[in-house]
Amino acid sequence: MRVGLLPTEGGGTYRFAILFLATIGILISSLPVIVVTIMSFSASEYSSFPPTEFSFRWYLEVVQLFTNEDPSSAQSVVDSTLTSLLVAFLVMVISTLVCIPLAYALARSNRNLREGMELLFTLPLVFPLVMLGIAFLLIAESLQLELGIWRIAIPHIALVLPFVLRNCLSAMNGISVEIEEAAISLGASPPRAIWDVVVPLMKAGILAGLIFALIISFNEFTVTFFMYTIDVSTLPIWMYSRTVSSLDPATLALSVFIIVVDVFLVVLVDKLIAGRGNLF
Amino acid sequence: MSTEFLPRKQALLFAAPAFIAILPFLGACFYILRFSLSGEQGTIEGLSFQAYRDLMTPFFGRSVWLTLKLAFVATVIVMVLAVPLAFVLTSLRSSFFRRLLTISILLPLILNLLVQAYGWILLLGPSGVLNSSLKALGIIERPLFLLFNETGVLLGLVQTSLPLAVFPIVGAVRAISPEYLEAASSLGAGHWRTFKDVTVPLLRPGLVGAASIVFAFNASAFAIPLLLGGRRVQMMGLVIRDMISPLFNWSGAAAAGMILIVLTLFVLVASSWLVRLTTTAKETH
Amino acid sequence: MTFKLTRRGILKASAATAATLAMPSIVTAAGKNDFSGKEIRLLTWSDNTGLAILENIAKPFEEMTGAKVIADRTGSTSEMVAKLRASGGKAQYDVITLAGVGAVELAGDGLLAKPDLNMLPNLEKVDPRFRSGAEGHGIGYLLWTGGMVYNTKTFKEPPKSYAEMWDAAHAGRLFLPPATWTDALDTIFATGKMIGGDGTNSEAAFAKLAELRSSILTFGENPGQISELFRSDALDIGGVYAPAFFAKELANPAESNMGATYDLDEGFFADLMYTIVPKSKPGDDDVVHAFINYTLDDKVQGVMAEAVLNGPINQQAVMSEAAKASPFIIKPEQLSEKAVVHDKAFIADVREKWIATYQQTLS
Repeated sequence: MRVGLLPTEGGGTYRFAILFLATIGILISSLPVIVVTIMSFSASEYSSFPPTEFSFRWYLEVVQLFTNEDPSSAQSVVDSTLTSLLVAFLVMVISTLVCIPLAYALARSNRNLREGMELLFTLPLVFPLVMLGIAFLLIAESLQLELGIWRIAIPHIALVLPFVLRNCLSAMNGISVEIEEAAISLGASPPRAIWDVVVPLMKAGILAGLIFALIISFNEFTVTFFMYTIDVSTLPIWMYSRTVSSLDPATLALSVFIIVVDVFLVVLVDKLIAGRGNLF
Repeated sequence: MSTEFLPRKQALLFAAPAFIAILPFLGACFYILRFSLSGEQGTIEGLSFQAYRDLMTPFFGRSVWLTLKLAFVATVIVMVLAVPLAFVLTSLRSSFFRRLLTISILLPLILNLLVQAYGWILLLGPSGVLNSSLKALGIIERPLFLLFNETGVLLGLVQTSLPLAVFPIVGAVRAISPEYLEAASSLGAGHWRTFKDVTVPLLRPGLVGAASIVFAFNASAFAIPLLLGGRRVQMMGLVIRDMISPLFNWSGAAAAGMILIVLTLFVLVASSWLVRLTTTAKETH
Repeated sequence: MTFKLTRRGILKASAATAATLAMPSIVTAAGKNDFSGKEIRLLTWSDNTGLAILENIAKPFEEMTGAKVIADRTGSTSEMVAKLRASGGKAQYDVITLAGVGAVELAGDGLLAKPDLNMLPNLEKVDPRFRSGAEGHGIGYLLWTGGMVYNTKTFKEPPKSYAEMWDAAHAGRLFLPPATWTDALDTIFATGKMIGGDGTNSEAAFAKLAELRSSILTFGENPGQISELFRSDALDIGGVYAPAFFAKELANPAESNMGATYDLDEGFFADLMYTIVPKSKPGDDDVVHAFINYTLDDKVQGVMAEAVLNGPINQQAVMSEAAKASPFIIKPEQLSEKAVVHDKAFIADVREKWIATYQQTLS
């Protein structure tokens, strides 16, 4: 494999530096989650880290939340979860479907156009989310639109486009025109050449894009906060009312539960798209 | 490099669906621009630059400077960490470990930020694991203040934006053909030399793309400075939020948002221009 | 009617008379207590105070009347106001509970209906100062009270003055409310009083507050974080802050290290929270009024006071012995002495400037 990037043997300072920095990166990413996961198994309500006794009691509480739902609350956790899943699915599929042809077109067209478009599609990332949330709400209200679930899905699609496009583009970069030309010279129509040759080669980038879209939409809070209604609400909104009130171990257990759901979704998408554990 | 393979008309056709998808967002952008020029704070009325004029204060200036500084430093740190992570991720043979690593890099995007901040407090807070261990070892007497200041915000920014950089770089790394590296090593170049002269130039477009996405993301951050800055690190995202909700100065928030966007875009364009300049300079040599 | 008329007692006589005259018909109307099949949409805070409303008001109300309460528990007052403003005339909610500032803001926008006081018989048991506000658009609900929160390990006795915050021993172990909260305005006021003014001497107060700049560990944007910092013994003291956030912690100081006090030389702060009704509400007038009336019920007020450590405004609120003895709950009789209730007009005047100066002085 790519021996040159990370030498398997020898490599001296280079290998050491790469591994050292990667370890720091992993620690920064995962330490808070590890701590929170450990705390969620704490037996007592007030305890310092690390806890001295462990139990599953907070997880039982989470299970109860899902089973004995209080019907008087507008935001039933089950409904919110389903809405979140549906929105995330729509956002994932739509954003990826629109980004694949765009990434292809950008990679195959001239540089100026490409840079301009990349910038345009980075914009959703640059906007402060609070401002965006309120702008979307003001527009939706002034147009008097009855959008249902799309109230949330449309802004989400805009938010994930930069991520999906970047990932598709970076995958497109490595695919040379010759491969396509070869397919065409063998008798494939240009669209077929794209679909049968280029898209499979982009798979890694597409997959990364899909996963980003899924995760970002499923966990988006700020814009959703402005757009949700009493009838269409998502899991992060529901979760918010819990975390604001207290960071008790049940909340932590619920967070761990949400992580598990996310990981499950990520692995599922990976399995479905990539086939036999090919990537990610 | 492959360029202009696609006729312009067809390129536009391919881009059309994405345009439709981004259209509502562009509508919102335009709306914000219009709002920033409103004469009233809470509604769109009249045409005036008052909102922009009101922002010309030392406080806002400091906030702009702080935002650009933190976003820049965070981007540099993220890139230094993301490249090695991408190398490791692409060289792992076991798919189990690859998945484990991928998921642990994605974690910061998944977990509720409030809960993550709680995790950091347990670890790095004034009485957290780190401080109490250092105290017990007799290394420090007073706790190190790692949170609720710029250090804390920087840490949070690096953490949340790391995944955004790693994956595009992974894509770019995968695209490097091994022959280049083999050629370099057969010519007797050392690892560092190969890294500097072969790997980095090959990765350059991917690196620039990743860095710009990270910079933009960090410049508009607001939850991180809110939760890990103890409210003392006034990044622009936070200033804008305060204007929107307790102060209800929406035109001011829109104007501040426009300034943030223009600055960020300026940095992005300037950096891509610089990169282009240096690459073409090298190519002509 | 036995009103305890206190210094700020302002109630339009006509409203009071009207309430008395309307009494009999209300009794019959409320006596039916049957709203089955009807819905009421409630918006309230996301924190524990909102949860308590669900448990202690919404649920018993449903049981009593058969109406269905659909509750949305999201956001702080200012977030609710931002969202309601943006949605303009199209309100999704029938009833909203929020802090005083919010009601005044929304009333100013012309988004609120004036509830019919005649349909709220419980109002007559409410301290006249706290019956309604925001020019009749807001009906009093409970009192949000702010004092000092302290570490029970550091302080054997509760602190007696806000001056404790300037003690060098607490440097790096101090928190203040964030600039955007009303509690920050209270803090400026308290500082002003502490240095000998009447509270409105803001310039001197800011000069004094500037001394705290390097001693602050954090601003209390998130009560959950503050609680964790006390538990891990990283904070000594902070204020002006509401004990209401810490009902659970204050009940167990051995674990949480937290104590709170209102008994301060400079006094404590009380802000009336309101129940408001949007102009274009989807629900039924009768249910909405019955619900608001129920929030002022003797028992409900007592139970809520105990649950969220807010001050009851119903002077006949039924409180348990424990609640009566609790130092964290303001009893109606305590209010008259040391409570600082801001003049809304004055606050509205200085609010923006104070928020900005506070932010720039301290962060």
